[in-house]
Amino acid sequence: MDLAWFLLLAPLAASIAILLNLHRKPNYAIGASVGSASVCFLTALAVATGAVKAPTPFEWISVPGLTVDIGMILDPLSKGMLLVVTGVGLLVHIFSIGYMAHDPSRGRFFGGLSIFMFSMTGIVLADNLIMLFLFWEGVGLSSYLLIGFWYEKESAAQAANKAFVCNRIADFGFMLGIITFWWIMGTVSVDPQILGQCYAKASMPQFSSTLQEWGAAQTLILHPGGISAHSAELVTLMVVALFCGCIGKSAMFPLHVWLPDAMEGPTPVSALIHAATMVAAGVYMLCRIYPILALSQAGMFLIACTGCFTAIFAALIAVQQNDIKRILAYSTLSQLGYMVMAVGCGGPDAAMFHLTTHAFFKALLFLAAGSVIHALHEEQDIWKMGGLWNKIPLTFWTFAIGMIALSGVPPFAGFFSKDYILTVAYTYGHGFYWVGVVTAFLTAFYMTRLVAVAFFGPPRTDAAKHPHESPPVMTVPLVILAVLSVIGGWGVYEFGIQSYYHNWSLDVLRDDGISYQAPAEISSAVPSGFVFFGILLSAFLYVNTASDPLNIPVLARKFYIDEFYDNVLVVLQQICANIVAWFDSWILEGLILRGAAYLSAGLGELLRLFQTGSLQTYAYIFTLGGGILIYITLFAH
Amino acid sequence: MDITLNHYLAVAAVLFVIGLMGVIVRRNLIIIYMSLEMMLQAANLTLVAFSRFNHHIDGQIFVFFVITVAAAEVAVGLALIVALYRLRQTTQVQDLTTLKF
Amino acid sequence: MNSLSPLLLLLLAPLAAMVAIVMKAPAQRTAAIAAALNLVLSIGLLFLYHAAQGGYDFVMDCPWAILPGLPPIHFHLGVDGISLPLVFLTAIVSFAAVVVSPGNIRRAPEYFCYLLLMSLGAMGAFISLDLFFFYIFHEFALIPTFLLIGIWGGQNRQFASFQITLYLMTGSLILLAGLLALVMAMPPDARSFDITTLQTYLSTHPLSLASQSVIFPLLLIGFGILVGLFPFHSWAPPGYASAPPAAAMMHAGVLKKFAIYGLIRVAIPMLHDGFEQWKYVLLILLLGNFIYAGFVTLAQKELPTMLGFSSIMHMGYLFLGLVTWNVIGLTGVVILMVAHGLSAALLFGLSGEITHRSGENRFTELGGLAKPAPLLAVLFSFASMASMGVPGLANFAGEVMVFFGSFSAKLIPFAAVAIYGTVITAIFQLRAIKTIFYGPIPARYQPQSGAAAGEATGMTDLNTLVEYVPFVLLTVASLIIGFMPFLLLHIVEPSVSLLPFLK
Repeated sequence: MDLAWFLLLAPLAASIAILLNLHRKPNYAIGASVGSASVCFLTALAVATGAVKAPTPFEWISVPGLTVDIGMILDPLSKGMLLVVTGVGLLVHIFSIGYMAHDPSRGRFFGGLSIFMFSMTGIVLADNLIMLFLFWEGVGLSSYLLIGFWYEKESAAQAANKAFVCNRIADFGFMLGIITFWWIMGTVSVDPQILGQCYAKASMPQFSSTLQEWGAAQTLILHPGGISAHSAELVTLMVVALFCGCIGKSAMFPLHVWLPDAMEGPTPVSALIHAATMVAAGVYMLCRIYPILALSQAGMFLIACTGCFTAIFAALIAVQQNDIKRILAYSTLSQLGYMVMAVGCGGPDAAMFHLTTHAFFKALLFLAAGSVIHALHEEQDIWKMGGLWNKIPLTFWTFAIGMIALSGVPPFAGFFSKDYILTVAYTYGHGFYWVGVVTAFLTAFYMTRLVAVAFFGPPRTDAAKHPHESPPVMTVPLVILAVLSVIGGWGVYEFGIQSYYHNWSLDVLRDDGISYQAPAEISSAVPSGFVFFGILLSAFLYVNTASDPLNIPVLARKFYIDEFYDNVLVVLQQICANIVAWFDSWILEGLILRGAAYLSAGLGELLRLFQTGSLQTYAYIFTLGGGILIYITLFAH
Repeated sequence: MDITLNHYLAVAAVLFVIGLMGVIVRRNLIIIYMSLEMMLQAANLTLVAFSRFNHHIDGQIFVFFVITVAAAEVAVGLALIVALYRLRQTTQVQDLTTLKF
Repeated sequence: MNSLSPLLLLLLAPLAAMVAIVMKAPAQRTAAIAAALNLVLSIGLLFLYHAAQGGYDFVMDCPWAILPGLPPIHFHLGVDGISLPLVFLTAIVSFAAVVVSPGNIRRAPEYFCYLLLMSLGAMGAFISLDLFFFYIFHEFALIPTFLLIGIWGGQNRQFASFQITLYLMTGSLILLAGLLALVMAMPPDARSFDITTLQTYLSTHPLSLASQSVIFPLLLIGFGILVGLFPFHSWAPPGYASAPPAAAMMHAGVLKKFAIYGLIRVAIPMLHDGFEQWKYVLLILLLGNFIYAGFVTLAQKELPTMLGFSSIMHMGYLFLGLVTWNVIGLTGVVILMVAHGLSAALLFGLSGEITHRSGENRFTELGGLAKPAPLLAVLFSFASMASMGVPGLANFAGEVMVFFGSFSAKLIPFAAVAIYGTVITAIFQLRAIKTIFYGPIPARYQPQSGAAAGEATGMTDLNTLVEYVPFVLLTVASLIIGFMPFLLLHIVEPSVSLLPFLK
């Protein structure tokens, strides 16, 4: 058997073992789960060095016209992503040993983590869209299980449902996109070479005008009759539909609502969802199928706009949040907006770069936040913290490194990737660039606010006065991630991402004539200046304050999106459902169906009146009838 | 005045109608039963009359059969009525409604 | 081909068990043994069947009766890749239904006889290759349905049993009229009740368009009533809600598939021009299944009626797959029939357990049961995930093939509605899981104050082997098909490819 299968089999085996038996023995469950994560990481290392080759795929569905393999793509893109996923995943596993040490159901928790790892590695390795979708849904399922881990809490159960349903709504579009893709291209493969061919054939001049002539490219088309003259619109629709999947999984506006609520799960889960697995899957998918997205200019523009809007929208909300995890959640939304914008602007390499660095510092921030929460006995409100910086120093310093990296201060990891995205955005459209710069300012502002309020100033509650530093099993992952957050920007891009995209010709990536070089008129100094201004302004406002000097309800209430969904969409849907149900039980079943029954019964009642049961009446009627007959036969002529 | 077939038939018809009215109108089982017999005798009378005027003996033979069967029937019917009376202490039809719904 | 067929054993096992039960054998054990035998046999047949070439196998054919004016009736058995998975489904669901039934149910011998008769009828309908037996076996199964609901049912059992029976009998009478009309519309010397003969003849000498367009709607409405095609679905929810769980499992899981099977086997291949003419009507009706039944499901306040409506809604996928009439879609339909049978049987069985153990089936009164009954919660979650089409469980493979098939048949808007159906399903199934199992535990399921902690709660889990084996079996079957659909695909696909008029 090929060694690479261990990437999928190890976590799957661990989760099955935990489901069947080990959930009763938490320590064995932890052993199985962390062991499988280590096996994954080691295999990923072996894969990255090229020691392990892609295994031979096997047919999962095979009927005439539709073949779906379970196979693996091992190219620089997936190798790099694999390292991030398994590496950060392993650190989160280790951190969880300490964080969940006192939870009686931790066996179940680690089972969920293993399913999560299984699904996420599956997405990274998938060599076709159906296989990707399989694991895609698996990620949704495992996030459902983990967000609802404390299912006795009504809010956790609600958040888990919300996450799953939001993802389902998006997957509705994604599925449509996948099938349309298959319908146009005749394949579901995401192999870079096949995608390159698809792009080359589809971008022939005929493609956008009339696709009747596209019969020339029959090798790729399975259903020539299916392509109409409206194919350009069809391709755009396909791109938008595929992007829908990303909207759900990477929590773009308007389906972003599930991500902040996903905070209901244990903190390591948030780290996993936000950094290495779930939300990264959406961006990774976009980068994976980038040549297909590039077929539609309109689609790309929509992607860029959605990303851009989400970036600034979420950053604005984050400015007024008070829950430490919620601030980080909105910052994730904002950073994801950056990545999606980068894809839309024609820089999937920039998006992957930022995805990687973001995985380091966001995992770091969440785990450090977990450490803070752990230290303060489940306190999450930053206004109830304060003065922590010298009491839990290791947590503070790692958190601070994460914050600086996220803000994009040179020369930390976030600076390089963010700068690259801004460059790409500038070449695509100046508006995107300026929105990105403002978002960078806001990011620096709210992250500084978080650190200033939570770690400086006087302790605001008793719990904050006597925090206790976390055990080494929790702090060691923090230190490792902190180191990565510092140096992550230096070699990652050159290591894998760039070489992957250079396999394709330049025009797949960007329109002709736009080069990679940063235009001369912009420099990194502009965004960096904004970032420093944000940090200083925020530090000025928030160090040593007892309450928030800014009070912007519309931001604190998240632009009322949740209220809109709960009170308008959900209620509307329920009203529709009730009307239809009323129709079903009263009109269809009541009036028509039971009406037919009552009609028969009523006719019977009517006819029953003739059955008096009196023999003499019958005799009388009989005689009468006989008399009439006799009269007719004798006298009627 | 000759007695013709029509006279016999008229008598039989009157007899039949009286019986019929008895069956329809009366409420006492025994009376109804006697009226029923009266209708039967009306039929017998027509049979005999036709037999006599058509010079054909079949009708009269048939009447003998009818009388025999009617006698047996009376025996059974009266026995039923007596049994019913013992059970219910009545022979009025309006009191016997057990089989009606 | 007058040799005996192993398929005969599938019919004889329940029959022998019924005789044994009448002769005072222990009812549940005998029934379970017969059902287990059938299950083993059907799994064996799945392996023995010559999958690669498709077509009928294990055929036996002997003359049975000649009635004046009708073509001869044969006792003709045989299975192909379309019916064999359904045979397996019947066997596994029957076994589960027998085992989940409470052993101390009143009038137990009668109860298990009826259950076996239902299984026998369904099995017979799937393996018969003669229209007469195809129809009669299904009728066999309807009578015990009536009795099971009427005698052992829950609330409103009288009403529900009469409604379901009158409705289904109406459907099968219309179906009978359609089948007879089909045979009688053929030239006298070609008339036959034999499905294989009919199929060969009619695919080369189709009936006139005029007669096809009259006969096809008869079959469509007849089969449609039996399967709950919108708007002929009103029998299902109250019927399933008041049926004993085993009967609901058998009917929703297995018996309903008879109608879809009939459409694949009889109506569409034999009356293809009629199908082409009427398929737009069918398309509009199946939208009703998705949207209308979907919304009605959202509004349900009790678990069993919700499941009843959801099983109606999911028939939409099967109809959509049928309309595509291409290999991808039809293979998907067959897989989905098995998958839906497994998940529906699981859901109805588990809903019975929940109702029985908690004494409650209204969502407003339930909650927090995952704590006292974790196994029940896990199994119910698996069943819901299957029903939602989560990958890894059988339904996904079928659904995704139906979607692909409908794209390739250019039914894109319908495919979109169908995919949206998975969203609606997710909403109501997740809501059901949440309200039943999550959240705080209502006071009445808390441990009694006097008893020791962990004991004597008002709610019990599936504890003994007998209690959870049937559900675990169904779940595992769904997982195996979900993870490895190719196992079933290589049985189904060659036979589907042999159907006439494929696009």
